[in-house]
Amino acid sequence: MKKEDTVKLISAEGFEFVIDKKAAMVSQTIRNMLTSPGSFAETEHGEVTFPEISTVILEKICQYFYWSLQYASGKETEFHIEPELTLELMMAANYLHT
Amino acid sequence: MGGVCSRKRDQLVNEDIIDRVVSGKYCKSGSSKWLGASFSRAAVDIEQGKRKCPSLMELCIYKIREDLNKYSTFSMLPRDISQQIFDDLVYSQCLADVTLEAFQDCALQDLSLGEYPGVDDFWMDFVSSQGSSLLLVDISGSAVTDSGLIHLRDCTNLQDLNLNFCGRISDQGLEHISGLSNLTALSFRRNNAIMAQGMSVFSGLVSLVKLDLERCTKIHGGLIHLKGLTKLESLNINCCNCITDADMKPLAGLTNLKSLQISSSKVTDYGVTFFKALHKLALLNMEGCPVTTKCLESLSALDELLFLNLSRCNFSDYGGEKFARLCTLKVLNLGFNEISDAVLVNLRGLTNLESLNLDSCRISDEGLVNLTGLQNLKYLELSDTEVGSNGLHYLSGLGKLESLNLSFTVVTDGGLRKLSGLSSLKSLNLDARHITDSGLAALTSLTGLTHLDLFGARITDSGTGYLRSFKNLRSLEICGGGLTDAGVKNIKDLSCLTLLNLSQNNHLTDKALESISGLTQLVSLNVSNSRITSAGLQHLKKLKNLKSLTLESCKVTANDIRKLQLADLPNLVNFRPE
Repeated sequence: MKKEDTVKLISAEGFEFVIDKKAAMVSQTIRNMLTSPGSFAETEHGEVTFPEISTVILEKICQYFYWSLQYASGKETEFHIEPELTLELMMAANYLHT
Repeated sequence: MGGVCSRKRDQLVNEDIIDRVVSGKYCKSGSSKWLGASFSRAAVDIEQGKRKCPSLMELCIYKIREDLNKYSTFSMLPRDISQQIFDDLVYSQCLADVTLEAFQDCALQDLSLGEYPGVDDFWMDFVSSQGSSLLLVDISGSAVTDSGLIHLRDCTNLQDLNLNFCGRISDQGLEHISGLSNLTALSFRRNNAIMAQGMSVFSGLVSLVKLDLERCTKIHGGLIHLKGLTKLESLNINCCNCITDADMKPLAGLTNLKSLQISSSKVTDYGVTFFKALHKLALLNMEGCPVTTKCLESLSALDELLFLNLSRCNFSDYGGEKFARLCTLKVLNLGFNEISDAVLVNLRGLTNLESLNLDSCRISDEGLVNLTGLQNLKYLELSDTEVGSNGLHYLSGLGKLESLNLSFTVVTDGGLRKLSGLSSLKSLNLDARHITDSGLAALTSLTGLTHLDLFGARITDSGTGYLRSFKNLRSLEICGGGLTDAGVKNIKDLSCLTLLNLSQNNHLTDKALESISGLTQLVSLNVSNSRITSAGLQHLKKLKNLKSLTLESCKVTANDIRKLQLADLPNLVNFRPE
């Protein structure tokens, strides 16, 4: 992956997830952060920190992004969610508008 | 006149799908839904069955639905999230009275439990536990009784209360809601127990903007309690035949009224005089009232009047000149009156008209000359009139026309050529027995057509070839009996189709189903009275958006369809035979 096509998402514990920009933009919130001119420091560095989202959850969210792109391209599979993650995942999804 | 047998039933099925916004054509007493009939049916479309990727939110909510018994409470979640979970459980019918505890302290704002099975007084405790956060409660169709309503006293911020079809609620129940001074919308449809005395509590509901008492049989004399409700903008007392002129008097001072519906009441021209000062009135529905053209005198000073329904009022031509003063009108329904071309002369100046309904009036070709100046007309209903091909000449200049209904008229193929220039046409009803394949040939330029009804027209296989021009077609009905499997092949590329009715073409076999097996947007399919057998059902497997399937009088049983539903078509909710 070329650096220009990727973004870095950082969890509360400091774990860094480098993913395709296209995947990250599945989240309307991230899309706004990365595309709105000048209002977010994130646009310059291509990095977004989420102090309220834990590593486990952020990982799951990244999985969702890729799953969503796959689904849209026609490959419809099931997205598995571990029951113990559901509530936290839901709140993060709400925040990320995804 | 409206068709018999499967056609009417189809329409009812479509109603379920279109979510009760009815076409009005077969709903002969659909007074409160007439607005749906006034505009282009194309605007009221069946939900396009496209499947978009579920959001992560949605996936989580489905997961919660699956694991519901693992959650004892949702009160730690932000309110908008617990609200979404609640709404999803109601939608999927997974909410049971045992689950209610999990939502006890969620401060929900919205309890839309209309027609939800099992709602009764036991649920009302839960309702009141939401306390002052509650803004909307819909318990229509429930078994809640008067004493159940006591619990609403704690919901002091309640704005919207829907108690439609609650057969157990009477004047006593009204007592309990008398303190809800923040109520802006209140609805009590089809209640036979509320009477004038109980309605005295309405005078305390000073914030009321919208009141719906449709089909309440005993409210005569009760409207007097609305007298001080100056914020009232909308009042619906359709189908209350106990309502008389005396009941209109207290409405005279409600100068904020914008919408008033009194269809099928006993109000006469005298009662309408009380509307003279209602200067903000935009919508007036008097369908089926014993009024005459004299009532138009009272309405002529109302310069905001946009929608007027005078269908089935037994109007004659006499006094028709009074229509000329109603020049603000956008929507006029004069269906089922004994009026003739003479009245149409008086409509010439109503150039704001966008919708005109002359269903079953004694209108003929020459009368239509009066419509040539109505350049804003989008919707024209001429079903069951004496209009024929010559009349269509006068319509050829109506460049904004989107919807035209010529069912049960004597128009012939030759006349249809006059319509070929109406490029805005989206919806066309040609359910008329003189229309044949050549008529269709004349219409191929109308590539914007989305709804085409050829129910009783004499279309054969060769006619279906012309359908290929209508690439945007969403709804198609051909039930004249002239189709064979070969003709259905021409339909297979109409990929936008959501509704398809080929019933009563008794030469159709399972091969026809094979042809349409790729129409994956289909939501409603009817091939009744044909030679379809259960072996043909396999061709429907890919139609994942199908919600309604009708195969009456075919060699198909309810069990066959049920198997198909379980194995392949999860969205199938309506099917016949059942």
